[in-house]
Amino acid sequence: MDLKKTYIPRLDDVLSGGVPKGTSILFQAMPGIISDVFGYQIISQRARLDREFGFIYTNTRTPAEIERLFDKYGWDLKTHLESGQLFFVDSISEMMGVPSIGKYIIDDLANSKDVLLHAIEEIAGGTAVIENVATLIDSIGADKTMELIEILNGAAMKNDVNIVYLFTRWDYEDWMVEQLKSLVNCEIELFGIEEKVMYRQVFMVVKSNWTTASKCKTFFELVEPGGIKVFIPKLLVTGPYNAGKTTFVHAIAEEAVSVERQAYELFPTTVGLDIGHVDYKGFSADVFGTPGQERFDLLLEPLARESIGTFIVIDSTKPSTFPRAKEMINMCRAEAIPKVIVANKYDLPDALTPDEIKKRMALWEDVPIIPASALNNKGVHQALDTLFDLIYRV
Amino acid sequence: MIPKIKTGIAGLDELIGGGLPENTITLIYGPPKTGKSITCYQFLQQAVADDDFCLYIMTDYNLFQLEEKMMQFNWLIHDYFQKEMMYVLDVASGSIGATQKETHTLKTSSPQNPTEIISTVIDDLQYIYQKTQSFRSILDSTTTLFSFNSPILMIRVLKSYTMRMKVAGGTGIITYTQGVADSQIETMLKATVDNIIHLDGKKIEIEAMVGCDSVSADYKITDEGIKII
Repeated sequence: MDLKKTYIPRLDDVLSGGVPKGTSILFQAMPGIISDVFGYQIISQRARLDREFGFIYTNTRTPAEIERLFDKYGWDLKTHLESGQLFFVDSISEMMGVPSIGKYIIDDLANSKDVLLHAIEEIAGGTAVIENVATLIDSIGADKTMELIEILNGAAMKNDVNIVYLFTRWDYEDWMVEQLKSLVNCEIELFGIEEKVMYRQVFMVVKSNWTTASKCKTFFELVEPGGIKVFIPKLLVTGPYNAGKTTFVHAIAEEAVSVERQAYELFPTTVGLDIGHVDYKGFSADVFGTPGQERFDLLLEPLARESIGTFIVIDSTKPSTFPRAKEMINMCRAEAIPKVIVANKYDLPDALTPDEIKKRMALWEDVPIIPASALNNKGVHQALDTLFDLIYRV
Repeated sequence: MIPKIKTGIAGLDELIGGGLPENTITLIYGPPKTGKSITCYQFLQQAVADDDFCLYIMTDYNLFQLEEKMMQFNWLIHDYFQKEMMYVLDVASGSIGATQKETHTLKTSSPQNPTEIISTVIDDLQYIYQKTQSFRSILDSTTTLFSFNSPILMIRVLKSYTMRMKVAGGTGIITYTQGVADSQIETMLKATVDNIIHLDGKKIEIEAMVGCDSVSADYKITDEGIKII
């Protein structure tokens, strides 16, 4: 099949190469996630690399604002506008009372159809970006919006145009979202990973007509200049001295390496870092294990800042180390990222139960406590599952 | 007993049992020129006094103008802003296409782009949350946002906004000019907040407040801000 690139890193791989001609793609974003950059990156890179034609229909940013955004990301728009290769269908300037630089101007959202159909014919073989579907739904109504999208998709198919719809999913009823999804050939969800506040962004292909959607989650960040970049998330493993952090890291990440020494210590202990990589249920992350001794505390904070989740490994038989574990939780600001307490060595005779540990640690909230024996590979996958469930409970 | 966040309005805090209930969102509404924005300035001034962080979204003036307006009451926020206690989202400058240099604590957006507004709010909350789990937020005013967007879309946006504030631990006020949207939208707006305060120029009325009976009192706007009389 002849596939056209999106030029979004990772996305082309997930879609087995790109998107077929004439198809429609929906980016559905959780409120607060900027989805339009996805549309702009596709259209700008195609214009530059594939010499493609295209237009941006906008009802939220004025063309002037979009030009500034392109500048910020280092994408050339001016040359393409001047040559006529790209143009705007401006549905916002009139309403804002500012002069428009759009080739086509829509003064009433209800009249969008004919203008858009005409614009699609003009860019045969190219790309159209429609932003934002949410504004359409709340202005002309869900039914009319769906009707419009169906007509546009038909025209796009005829003219080999890819339409990229950008949609901020405010609290719309499920049926609207389902109907919207049924109208497009491919749907990509954008959402945040959060614990009280959102701190990482992810995209995931949930539907694609030409390939099986793998549902793998790709972390991304917006870099200026540059645009969408893939981000490899980190998981942090921390906890008091000799709780079994290194063993745990090796249990979840098979090929982990550790820097350790045995000289003056009773047990071999980590004095540098445990570093590994885990691929688990469509999720890929680097794992960092920190040393437990206080003299290495300065490593905790920078690692924690980069992490998307934390395992706090404790020794279930040593309540005397719990205050230290709590201190480490505070130190790595783990309150703002999902965390799981791994109650290691639970199989030893004097191990405390999760309930007892919870009481002894006087935890301020519901942190899952998973009994485990890293040495015997028990409870390790439950710990991973629990943390990933917390990370992805959107 | 719910902890209270002082409004800074003389007499009002006593009237409502110490201040606004912590981690709730309060709607301040009424006709034009009844003191809604002044309530915001006063709430900010109290944040300065109490050393609280504040996230301030302004739609009709910029930071410089806010400083000037507050100076008339002898409330100074310059140092407070310099200390990075205040995170400003200026939606006013964006609407006229003015560009200004963005910093960590001063960002701009446009009133007709709610996705970007919420995205910036979330960005700010990340910073604030690292420093405190209790802060103030001010949105002055939703009126402008209603006039630039479909009202029903704005209600969705405000729901998302208040949810974000509350989850992150904020105590917020938002203002709205009565009569701008139709009554159905006003009812929906009231349903997105926890507390409702009405100002009519003479009388301040607590229409709803968590853990507090509805009360009212007379007020006037003085050169020291709003005062209950």
